[in-house]
Amino acid sequence: MSVLVIAEHTRGEVRDITYELITAGHALEGPLVVAAIGSDPGALDLNRAGVDEIIHVRVPQADFENDVYQQALEALIAERRPDHILVGFSVNSLGYAPAVATKLGLGFASDVFAIRREAGTTVATRAFYGSKVHAELDFPGQRAVMLMLRPTIWPAAGAASAPPSVTERNVTIAGSRARHKEFLDLPKADVDITGADFLLAIGRGIGDKENIALFERLSEKMAATLASSRPLVDAGWMPSSRQVGQSGKTVKPKVYLALGISGAVQHLAGMKASGTIIAVNKDPEAALFNAAHYGAVADLFEVARELEKLY
Amino acid sequence: MVWYVLVTVSTAVLFWGLTRLAFKYRLGRRRPLGLDHLPRRLARGLASVFSHDKLRTRQPVAGGAHMLIFYGFLVLFIGTVILAFQDDFAKPFLHFDFWHGSFYLTYSLFLDVFGATLIVGLAVMAVVRGGVKPPRLNYRRPAGEPGDYDRTRYVIGDWVLVAALVFLALSGFLLEALRIAERNPSFEVWSPVGWTLAQGLRGLGVSGDLAANAHHAVWWVHGVVALAFVSSIPFTKAVHIIASAANLVVRDERAGKKLPRPVPGGKPGEVGYARITDLSWQHLLSLDACTKCGRCHVACPATAAGYPLSPRDLVLDLREVAEGSLGIRATMGIPPLYEKEAPLLGNAIRPETIWSCTQCMACVQVCPVGIEHVPIINQLRRRLVEQGEMDATLQATFETINTTGNSFGEPRRKRGRWSRELPFEIKDIRQQPADLLWYVGDFASFDPRNQRVNRALAQVLQQGGADFGILHEAEKTAGCDVRRAGEEGLWTSLAEQNIATISACDFNRIFSSDPHTFHTLKNEYPELGGKWNVLHHSELLLELVEAGRLNPRKKLGYRATYHDPCMLGRYNGVYEAPRRLLEAVGVELVEMPRNRANSFCCGAGGGRIWMKELRPEGVKRPSEQRIDEAVALGGIDYFVVACPKDVTMYEDAIKTSGHQGEIKLREISELILEALDLAPDPGAGAEQEEEPK
Amino acid sequence: MKIVVCVKLVKVVGDEVEFTADGLDVDSDYLEHALNEWDACAVEEALRIRERLGQAEVIAVTAGDKKSEEALRRCLAMGADRAVRVDSAVTDPISTANALASAVAPESPDLVLCGVQSSDSVQGSTGTALSELLGLPRVAVVKKLEWSGAGPATVHRELEGGLVDVVEVDTPAVLTIQTGINQPRYATLRAIKLAEQQEITLVTAPAGGDPAYRVRRMFTPPKGEGAQMLKGNPSEIASQIAVIIKERLK
Repeated sequence: MSVLVIAEHTRGEVRDITYELITAGHALEGPLVVAAIGSDPGALDLNRAGVDEIIHVRVPQADFENDVYQQALEALIAERRPDHILVGFSVNSLGYAPAVATKLGLGFASDVFAIRREAGTTVATRAFYGSKVHAELDFPGQRAVMLMLRPTIWPAAGAASAPPSVTERNVTIAGSRARHKEFLDLPKADVDITGADFLLAIGRGIGDKENIALFERLSEKMAATLASSRPLVDAGWMPSSRQVGQSGKTVKPKVYLALGISGAVQHLAGMKASGTIIAVNKDPEAALFNAAHYGAVADLFEVARELEKLY
Repeated sequence: MVWYVLVTVSTAVLFWGLTRLAFKYRLGRRRPLGLDHLPRRLARGLASVFSHDKLRTRQPVAGGAHMLIFYGFLVLFIGTVILAFQDDFAKPFLHFDFWHGSFYLTYSLFLDVFGATLIVGLAVMAVVRGGVKPPRLNYRRPAGEPGDYDRTRYVIGDWVLVAALVFLALSGFLLEALRIAERNPSFEVWSPVGWTLAQGLRGLGVSGDLAANAHHAVWWVHGVVALAFVSSIPFTKAVHIIASAANLVVRDERAGKKLPRPVPGGKPGEVGYARITDLSWQHLLSLDACTKCGRCHVACPATAAGYPLSPRDLVLDLREVAEGSLGIRATMGIPPLYEKEAPLLGNAIRPETIWSCTQCMACVQVCPVGIEHVPIINQLRRRLVEQGEMDATLQATFETINTTGNSFGEPRRKRGRWSRELPFEIKDIRQQPADLLWYVGDFASFDPRNQRVNRALAQVLQQGGADFGILHEAEKTAGCDVRRAGEEGLWTSLAEQNIATISACDFNRIFSSDPHTFHTLKNEYPELGGKWNVLHHSELLLELVEAGRLNPRKKLGYRATYHDPCMLGRYNGVYEAPRRLLEAVGVELVEMPRNRANSFCCGAGGGRIWMKELRPEGVKRPSEQRIDEAVALGGIDYFVVACPKDVTMYEDAIKTSGHQGEIKLREISELILEALDLAPDPGAGAEQEEEPK
Repeated sequence: MKIVVCVKLVKVVGDEVEFTADGLDVDSDYLEHALNEWDACAVEEALRIRERLGQAEVIAVTAGDKKSEEALRRCLAMGADRAVRVDSAVTDPISTANALASAVAPESPDLVLCGVQSSDSVQGSTGTALSELLGLPRVAVVKKLEWSGAGPATVHRELEGGLVDVVEVDTPAVLTIQTGINQPRYATLRAIKLAEQQEITLVTAPAGGDPAYRVRRMFTPPKGEGAQMLKGNPSEIASQIAVIIKERLK
């Protein structure tokens, strides 16, 4: 039995999800092998507790490409025959992991946030119906299982006491049909919300584009930085530099005051590490109330108006 | 001889003009109603014309002055016809001369008196227009609306009409005076004005042959100008003499109240009004009926709040397009010309203008000539919806309503949840028969402030021994505002589903606490097969009070003002029931200046509550202006409403208008409950209202 | 020129949940249905490509039961030319991809668009799995798409944190579309009703292979302690919030 973890990296930096995968993999039986795919995998820091072996898979491409990772992974699976393959539930992995699972007939589940072994079977837990409901899955058929794990659930693995063994391997890539051209950074924003101590975040609950002015004023009065959930950015009402969430920024302010945000998982991922989370929402069932420290079921405009009077 | 040639020419030009107008109207769509019940329409239209009721409401001076002009002109016209008949037909062909004796004297007196009233009326109008200059006669486009053509020619046209009539009247009197001055027969004292003028002329030495020659000259001038005036009717503001009267006969009595169903099998290009030729012939006629009186302009809440809509300007813009593409102006090649096939929206008419309307019907209600602004706007909205040109929030609301059956996006199962906090259970009318089916509506079902009103109403009804039930989660929005916002297909779908749901239940009557629901169930569902006896809750409560089943124990000594909801008042004429209820519980009712049919819309109707704000900075919302109006009455404890949207809009407006603490809001059921002196609302819980400090 | 869009009629759960007798899914009485938001963006994108290129056939495909045809009607009402339903029970992404492939492969499309994920399952995997079965290149999470109709397309991939990866992909290809790429157009009820007259091609799903996973049980998660709820009217709530903020910012 063995566990194969695929490391995620962008522009030479290992992404946090990789270390979380290592922690998750450690709970499964057998040696834990971490594979780093790229043109210079040796430059990546993968010395973490729980890792038994690191495989440097050298390919011509420096940056992520679907077909490259797919072919590299298929080669590794053919060679090592792992029982469990762990990748992050991330934009990169979505581009190849399901394809590998389909081709090789693997057991497969995505956005998994809990794994356990029970009497020789693997049980994975994921959510359905917008996180209102959880389900336990298993994978009959004695095949290898590929799981895409939800970020920020498992803690990052700590440093290794002794460096794991390293294997070098080259893989010939037959062809990449979707080729990386360049990265585009976000335009330099007026504000970097990741540095703020106090964020005032607004969501769909604010209703109308006109109302943003009210919250801009409020954030100024309260000396908070204005942030936003995804829907307002999608609609073009707020700049993407202010977006908090999985496809936006991850923030850890001392205080996160959320007005009219329901608390979708993707948003939570971006702010749940905040010191104190206060949520105000008209809907008593808003998911954010589960993750928040303080909550109030109230009309956010009335609360905003009252707050403005106090500052 | 020359005279008869001129008469023929003048008549020919007149008829050419009228025919051209008729052709213009014919280019419009055939409207299903057409000219049904013609005798009744004629009677009703002519009654309106002769009584001048719409003209005199709210504008007694202008209305009265117009009455003087109207009757003056009419009598003089008939008098001229009689004279022409006498001179040109009866005497030469029938050898019948009635032009003498008491007939003649009565005739003379009448004509003189009415000639004088004509001049007095015109003088009043001139003073109002030129001196008083009321806002309704200011043709400047309001700030939100960009204009692209100069309106000076409107002003010139107005003054030319007044001047022409004054000229005709004065020259007529001069004519008479000269005639009398020639020989000064004593019986002519029966023409008092002419007689007086004649004495003056004689005093100046004008008599005998001099008078006769002058008379001859003035006769020709008067005659030619009169003929010119008559033949100019189709081409100038004077066309309203014919168009306005005609429109009052052919208009749809239920315009706006019962919107028209689309023509079955219509193609996408045929939905709503895309081009000027899509307007019904009656709507095209109504555009010419407009005299730019401005009553709609000053009644409109959107205009008052600075939205890019003025009903008057919409009508005038459409008229410009009609004239410039189909009318006399187009025929004669006079610019500005318009393409017949060009779309209206995005060119002559901006979509924001059409979306600004709350469909409150203040414009239709006040228009003296029966123009139907609201249905025209509705048809233009149907076009916009078909093209997908609407606010993202409105689109999202339509999609939400289609999926969940309510505009809040709440799951269906939650609909009846508000009733669980009552000490008794409300019947599920799907399972059990009941006397009354309570159609609750979206806002009342899901909005917390309105849920409190519901519970108050439920307790009152329970106390009054009413046997009622609700549909719980089978109820979907009745769709009134969906229809008014232009999504006709969605309204039809909702109505069909609701009719099926309701028909499966066993009940006698339906009532609703939501005027929008009440209106569409009562007036528009019958066309789709859902015909029931529908009441508003104020009517039901009044029944219970008058039958003695509800006995208000407390006399609430409050000073309150009542706001007539558009859908209950203007749309359905229910003004007195809520007032009598307030009287029954001992509330001192103080009326706002704009009440009953003249009530001022809160701004939420027509789907506007689902759309983005169009108000410019610094202008107060209609609801805030209304609260100002109420507070200005002095010492008002409560602003009383009978509509859930009013509850939401005015609770908000009381805060944002800066009058919080000076006035509070109550829905009528809440006052009745208070007067019954029962236990307080069990579901009030954490939502306590603030006590005055 | 054919553009295939794969769509799903998603289920929305309210706040009350009851499970089916076997405990493996939510009772359908407690579900509302709607066209998946991501798929609506995919359809809109296909329609825009058609408008830009001047002509193309847009075909909407779904895998599901009779009720899922509602999603197809919406696509037809928005302007899709044809619709196909593969009769199958929606299960895991790989089985779904198998079902879809049986209808998509015969079309030999020039482009296949899917939504990144469905709002009810959030697997994010069906599009990529489908591309493997079709043997086509794929890019997942596309925020922007530029394509002349022939040759490779240039797409923007939206990475975490907002970073954009510009990718050149050979066509035919499968792209999964992210929200925010466009505003899906409104389909009037009238258009949807008209779409009800249109015929939807029915395809039977092939006998499936092994499903990717099996649901053992479904349950409502235990509600954690959750937030400490603040009570009172807005003024009182605001005061309490202000106190907390002041305390925590020290």
